[in-house]
Amino acid sequence: MNPSQERTAAPSATTAVPPAEPEGHGIGASLPATDLAAKTEGTFPYAADLWAEGLLWAALHRSPHAHARIVSVDTSAAEAMPGVRVVVTHRDLPDAADHGRGVRDRPVFAHDVVRHHGEPVAAVAADHPDTARLAAAAIAVEYELLDPVTDPQAAFEAEPLHPDGNLIRHIPLRYGDPQAAGEVVVEGTYRIGRQDPAPIGAEAGLAVPRPDGGVEIYAAATDPHSVRDQVSACLGLAADRVKVVVTGVPGATGDREDGSMQLPLGLLALRTGSPVKLLATREESFLGHAHRHPTLLRYRHHADARGKLVKVEAQILMDGGAYADTSADALAAAVSFSCGPYVVPHAFVDGWVVRTNNPPSGHVRGEGAMQVCAAYEGQMDKLAAALGMEPAELRARNVMATGDLLPTGQTVTCPAPVAELLTAVREAPLPPEDPGERALLPGGPEGAGEPGVVRRGVGYGLGMVHMLGAEGADEVATATVRVSGGAATVICAAVETGQGFATLARQIVQEVLGVDEVHTAPVDTDQPTAGPACHGRHTWVSGGAVERAAKMVRTQLLQPLAQKFGMSAELLTIADGKITSYDGVLSTTVAEALEGKELWATAQCRPHPTEPLDANGQGDAFVGMAFCAVRAVVDVDVELGAVRVVEMAVAQDVGKVLNPRQLAARIEAGVTQGVGAALMENLRTNKGIVRRPDLTGYPLPTALDAPDVRIVKLVEERDVVAPFGAKAASAAPVVTSPAAIAAAVRAATGRPVSRLPIRPQSAAVQ
Amino acid sequence: MCQSCHVPAGSPYRTAERPELLGDTAEGAAGLTTHAPQAAQTVVLPDSLDEAVAALTAMPAAVPVAGGTDLMAAVNAGLLRPSALVGLGRISELRGWHYQDGAALLGSGLTHARIGRPDFAALIPALAAAARAAGPPQVRNAGTLGGNIASADRTGDALPVLAALDATVLIAEPAGGHREIPVSHLLAGVEMLRTGELIAFVRAPLLHAPQVFLKATGRTGPGRAAASVALVLDPARRAVRCAVGAVAPAPLRPMEAEQWVAGLMDWDGHRGLPPEALAAFGDYVAAACIPDPPPGAEGEEPPRLPAAALHLRRTVSALARRALGRALS
Repeated sequence: MNPSQERTAAPSATTAVPPAEPEGHGIGASLPATDLAAKTEGTFPYAADLWAEGLLWAALHRSPHAHARIVSVDTSAAEAMPGVRVVVTHRDLPDAADHGRGVRDRPVFAHDVVRHHGEPVAAVAADHPDTARLAAAAIAVEYELLDPVTDPQAAFEAEPLHPDGNLIRHIPLRYGDPQAAGEVVVEGTYRIGRQDPAPIGAEAGLAVPRPDGGVEIYAAATDPHSVRDQVSACLGLAADRVKVVVTGVPGATGDREDGSMQLPLGLLALRTGSPVKLLATREESFLGHAHRHPTLLRYRHHADARGKLVKVEAQILMDGGAYADTSADALAAAVSFSCGPYVVPHAFVDGWVVRTNNPPSGHVRGEGAMQVCAAYEGQMDKLAAALGMEPAELRARNVMATGDLLPTGQTVTCPAPVAELLTAVREAPLPPEDPGERALLPGGPEGAGEPGVVRRGVGYGLGMVHMLGAEGADEVATATVRVSGGAATVICAAVETGQGFATLARQIVQEVLGVDEVHTAPVDTDQPTAGPACHGRHTWVSGGAVERAAKMVRTQLLQPLAQKFGMSAELLTIADGKITSYDGVLSTTVAEALEGKELWATAQCRPHPTEPLDANGQGDAFVGMAFCAVRAVVDVDVELGAVRVVEMAVAQDVGKVLNPRQLAARIEAGVTQGVGAALMENLRTNKGIVRRPDLTGYPLPTALDAPDVRIVKLVEERDVVAPFGAKAASAAPVVTSPAAIAAAVRAATGRPVSRLPIRPQSAAVQ
Repeated sequence: MCQSCHVPAGSPYRTAERPELLGDTAEGAAGLTTHAPQAAQTVVLPDSLDEAVAALTAMPAAVPVAGGTDLMAAVNAGLLRPSALVGLGRISELRGWHYQDGAALLGSGLTHARIGRPDFAALIPALAAAARAAGPPQVRNAGTLGGNIASADRTGDALPVLAALDATVLIAEPAGGHREIPVSHLLAGVEMLRTGELIAFVRAPLLHAPQVFLKATGRTGPGRAAASVALVLDPARRAVRCAVGAVAPAPLRPMEAEQWVAGLMDWDGHRGLPPEALAAFGDYVAAACIPDPPPGAEGEEPPRLPAAALHLRRTVSALARRALGRALS
């Protein structure tokens, strides 16, 4: 009678991973994550678990308006509340104390004007979190409402929202002949929504005053040195008076350097002389941290009759929110990769990122690259339709390879096996057309799906993303390796965010030194910087630094032995804690060779320099690039517009597989984040006010939404300039998956699908 | 009232115990330690319905809490600061159901998980389907039927089913009495719960005929309904009853469409309808629930529904058509 009764739970999402090597040690082994047991047993200490005796609780008064002038701030009612220890505002800080990643243009506490919903205005420390919250709410701020600028297109003409003006950056890219024209021309407009990094754990931190007048901040920062520099600058302290200690990071797909939280914490600790803890609510988390740039893209693609691309013209407008943050970098990625992994002889692109009163934008995995991927792949589908070609065939005719040029004039010197990736996903077997009895229909196990109106679509996406910082950023990491008593320790300020750096460091040391027991030291800012945990930089520069340091220790270890036995150190090998010579004559253990000594070595890894884009958007701006091909298979209920992603087939350019299990997990996670961006994740605002800052109003993909991820090929073509030849793996599937899903929905419905996330009304066939 | 059930609500956090050790405080600081003035002072856990009603009568400001899936979320978000709570979890008489005059009396403490089980689904299939769709397992294990009614959220999945069943609620009154009102009256605010009253049971007819609940959400995983349709056949009265949820603050009943399609059906035969009739029913329901905007002034372009409303109307139409089709198949 009721069909929904007969359908039981869906088959669980599975991942087809190439067979992993048996668990061992060293590079290429599927070592489990070092913190796996603690995290599964619930004993892993996250930032929210911090505790200090006698601590106070902080709460922030955040602006309820997107744009307003602050007429007055009256803290007397809050200060009079029992249990409140101190209330601070901008008056408690040195003048011109601005912070921000990238550009320091953000006041710690808003004064004169508030520029976005949720901007901090004041902070309270009290002896109970509820008291602190009530006191924060009792701070009387008189606002004079101003018209919010929420349409980025209006930002150009609007009154400046900030002394720095509304245009954060404009990149004009001029490449080739402006007169060039193709026989077939297609145009499209694309809109990408505001994805939130939505970390599993909201922001939290503890600040502890030091006897020397400094402060220690314990937080789940992904770039502790940047936090330290911002805190010391804003609080008027010398850099050595501020120490940032990284505690358990509960997920980070974007920045976790929310200075707007760590700065008030530090100030409150200094003012009260007590430890102060802050635990952001989910709402505060949504309001406070940086989001993916909502982007409006207009494209015109020219091609010849055989489908070869002739020219790409584009306008890219990114909404940077109220403060500059790292928007300039996101724009550089968007403009540089605006044509995708295709050979395009002529390109004319204008990119702008502007200031608005919308929630702040910043670094979220694949920023810039993801937005343009959705647009240029939409254009490729349009072009294929205009030419009457298979979308995958059109892509195959235009893919770039090593040696081709980006429209920035940069030669792609790293491996660019785009054709191989595309072939791999094209040739992968499709999931069965008839999904059988227990299939999950769009709408879920208790949804309204009806098999008769479900149409299947297959779509392709090709994407690229850069690794490491761009445009001349100094990408350096320092690592120290210590060996004593048969165990090794890695000291490196690369933050383990869940990306697996701690495991990788262990594998590297195992590989080089043959020592099985490897520990990674906790991270703080007394260590030299390793830079932010983004753009795959820790696999590259921090991993590279660890390898060099380990090799230096190896030399120190083997040199005396080699001299003793009259052979060169190169003839000795270390494996499983044993040192053996090439002829097997000498055999000793690492512990014996150490003779009770401790060996230390510190090394740096700094990749080759890059240069900023010039006035025509030209320049060798990137150290390296990673490529990805995704084939999405979707089922669409064409009446309701409900979409279910059935399978994502991924082929990825990874350089070298360092840890198969971790790599598969990174790709699965990236694809799932891409599914969220494609189908549901969009932090919606109304005149700059965030409408539903909670996880009910902002749905994330659940296990039922996550598709089967089939990793059909991992192309291992070593990038000779990268340590181990490995490439970053996390961002490429995030960049490419939304475009592939949009293409599949287009194929299923025939609708244009030019907006992400795809709304049901855009996927329904009328 | 069971005095032993009083549990003082302890602060969930440790507070600073020795303020004098905290050093010199800044100006304005009172230097006092506070307990949490916002936490509920009193939590009562009665064992029976009568005790619960007595507790609610004794403390008019107390809030009854069953699964807490909506209430505690509001408390945690700081939207609600109940001074006292009456926990209903120990009242076993509310956690099952019994039969009376051909109807089922469903305890308000029935969880979604319990309602979703096959033995219940054999009684009231549409309510079981709604319960299985009512969120992730954690929510279904805790959330209750009575809570769904009391929250009266527009996306409450049980609500359109109760509206389509013409269910009534039995409300326990302070002096041991009770009154019975239609669920729809309570949801529409025609009648309200008074001080000391508690939703005790839901009287739902046992129709012994097909019934369907369908829900459209934005994703494959559990989500709030964009629109939902409950449809039940009542062969004894030769009636089709249909309710549309989530499109309005309370479930909507397209009565004309119900009567029209009931008149079309051959109740003594196989009860099938041609596809065109199913589609017409869907459109009828959708137009009734999401009406056209009133016509503009003379000569003006007639106002049109915004695209999102048009899509919602198509969604309701498809859901109603599918629901009737499944009920008659």
